[in-house]
Amino acid sequence: MHFQKKRCVAMLLAGGQGSRLKVLTENTAKPAVPFGGKYRIIDFPLSNCVNSHIDTVGILTQYLPLELNEYIGNGQPWRLNSSHGGVQILSPYAGQKGAQWYKGTANAIYQNLAFIRRYHPDYVLILSGDHIYKMNYAKMIRFHETTGSDCTIAVRPVPMEEASRFGIMNTREHGEIYEFEEKPAHPKSNKASMGIYVFNWDVLEKYLEIDEQNPDSENDFGKNIIPLLLDAGHKISAYEFSGYWKDVGTIHSLWAANMDTLGEKPEFDLHGADDEVIYARNTAQPSSYLAETAVVSDSFVAEGCEISGRIKHSVISSACIVHEGALIRDSVIMPSAVIESGAVVDHAIIGEGCVIGAGAKIGGAPKDGEEPEIAVIGHEKTVEPGAVVKPGEVL
Amino acid sequence: MKTAMGIIFSNVYDSNMGGLTEARTSAAIPFAGRYRQIDFALSNMANAMIHHIGIVTKYNYESLMNHIGSCEEWDLEMEQRGVVLLPPFATGHMGVYRGKLEALYTALDVLEHSSQDYVVLTDTTVLAAVDYAAALQAHIDSGCDITVIAKPDKADGKRVNTLSMKLDQNGKPIDMTVDFAAPKEYLVSMGMFVISRELLIRIIRETAPHGKYHLERDFIMDGFINGTVSVNVFRFEGVTLFNGSVQEYYENSMALMDETTRHGLFRTDIPIYTKPRDEVPTVYGEGAQITDSLVADGSYLDGCCKHSVLFREITLERGARLDGCVVMQGCKIGTGADLQCVILDKDVVVRPYVRLVGTPEHPLYVRKGDTV
Repeated sequence: MHFQKKRCVAMLLAGGQGSRLKVLTENTAKPAVPFGGKYRIIDFPLSNCVNSHIDTVGILTQYLPLELNEYIGNGQPWRLNSSHGGVQILSPYAGQKGAQWYKGTANAIYQNLAFIRRYHPDYVLILSGDHIYKMNYAKMIRFHETTGSDCTIAVRPVPMEEASRFGIMNTREHGEIYEFEEKPAHPKSNKASMGIYVFNWDVLEKYLEIDEQNPDSENDFGKNIIPLLLDAGHKISAYEFSGYWKDVGTIHSLWAANMDTLGEKPEFDLHGADDEVIYARNTAQPSSYLAETAVVSDSFVAEGCEISGRIKHSVISSACIVHEGALIRDSVIMPSAVIESGAVVDHAIIGEGCVIGAGAKIGGAPKDGEEPEIAVIGHEKTVEPGAVVKPGEVL
Repeated sequence: MKTAMGIIFSNVYDSNMGGLTEARTSAAIPFAGRYRQIDFALSNMANAMIHHIGIVTKYNYESLMNHIGSCEEWDLEMEQRGVVLLPPFATGHMGVYRGKLEALYTALDVLEHSSQDYVVLTDTTVLAAVDYAAALQAHIDSGCDITVIAKPDKADGKRVNTLSMKLDQNGKPIDMTVDFAAPKEYLVSMGMFVISRELLIRIIRETAPHGKYHLERDFIMDGFINGTVSVNVFRFEGVTLFNGSVQEYYENSMALMDETTRHGLFRTDIPIYTKPRDEVPTVYGEGAQITDSLVADGSYLDGCCKHSVLFREITLERGARLDGCVVMQGCKIGTGADLQCVILDKDVVVRPYVRLVGTPEHPLYVRKGDTV
């Protein structure tokens, strides 16, 4: 079979278990977690690829891949169903040396070098499947080309006092990186890695092979591959990104990122120009119905919902039912959940397909000046009528 | 297993639909917030594994082609053995077809080159979630020449724009009328038929040269009266909306606010597919007061709205009021505007503080793209 040469192949690391998302990832991989009413987390990097004219994407899955595989399907919702490239799910497989789980991010790519080789790309773009952002990768690749780098890492500024929580890139003039420090106690810069890399294909291939020979390596891009390249004198540049970006790896950040989509001037606007559209797999849901008793403001409501209750500053995903007398405030309701009459959901995330019984109380608002504690109900759970789930509690 | 192909008439009733069909065919009329009328016919067929479908068109079918695209949303394919659009022969006159038999002449080639045993024929103006697989089986079991899918409790003594039938206790037709004020006990044809492919080809060939162009009148009713055609009736008891005129279109849009009607049309076991548009979910602003309304994706709603159908990508500014309205995709309604019983076709701009008032019997219709 003949494979067209590609300028750039994207490899999307979607294997994360997302254990910090607790019950929300009990039965599904983190990239398949719903976001923003009708999306899933993986829609963001996938749509960014399409909007950057990257038409060949390998998705590396490992943890509970069924739902994610089903969701991606043939890639048609993202226009990635082309016969020259398109989207390919890459799961760990058994070879002659036996089957191996992906050991680290670099090992995951190493095990799929054959997929990349088919396309003889100039560049390989490494992405992470658990970030919410809109980014034009084509601009980053142009930057990579004009700086003549062997590797380019996307960075964003973080407050200096928080820099010790991130992987920090120390740079010279023109963004050239001379040092990478993982969670430095005394950070020298505030440029935090976003986990997005552009590599020259020949360089990536060579150093993945070298790293694989080292039994002590954790096979991680940040910890192993980047230092290897720096030691060998390769040019690595930092590409500064100033737009919205959020790692939704924790309950609080997932809730906060959803809240960031609300308001008249949202911090993260899901709307955008034609080259900023976020694509998602559509389900066959009718329009939503808001009953005579419905009171909805400052919120998103996706299609297929039947709303009779009150909703304020919340994200309601597709096919949810909110009964009369229910109140939802500052919360994220994932698809197909049912909130029965008189239930109060406040500062909470309600998982897919949950039933919140009549009169139940989930979560609660924080005291003035305190950080909210988000209550979470896992997918497909039933909360008995009248039950109380405290702020920050996870069911 | 016996198989069926489908024929969809996209515009037999266009002349009754007023401005709604000025720039589109009946099949492409937007309905229920996110659908086009043809979505119901296509989905019913796809749900019954009917994958080879000819769509009979006459004119104004650009918006229809645009909507159908490659058909993958219905799990159908636009190709040789998938969905084919059947454009008209150049006949000189640009009106609608006089009847389905005349329209079917354009489908002869496709019918002859298909392999399926049966054909399911349908209009796009009757909206219902119908199990065509059950209708096909009932037709085969009956041994009749043609099966008419028909609805009881729809005749009300008013003129019916199609075939209506009286049945005996065994469900056999004992009287038939066409374009007649049928009494209550009559069943009304839903414009959906099952017939063998070979018989359909034969009657198109035999009737057309004799100036017979009306399927219901010239073939079914005449044949029934003469005793030359055996007719089976498949009773459909579910929710059925006949959008045969602008008035009916408005009434049926308002009927969607009734839970029984809505859930009967959009059943979880018979999904209705449509072309997705990759819109963001609808945003409700601080000023939003939306009640008793059907709302699709992609809108920004900051005004007041009750008992209305809101399609996609609508902007309803703060202080604007809607009551009993149908607002199609892309409309912008300025602050302070006050609209009652109005149908706004696509991309209408209503300027601030404009007042438009229709009545439930005579809704006001504003043409696609107009600014008022």
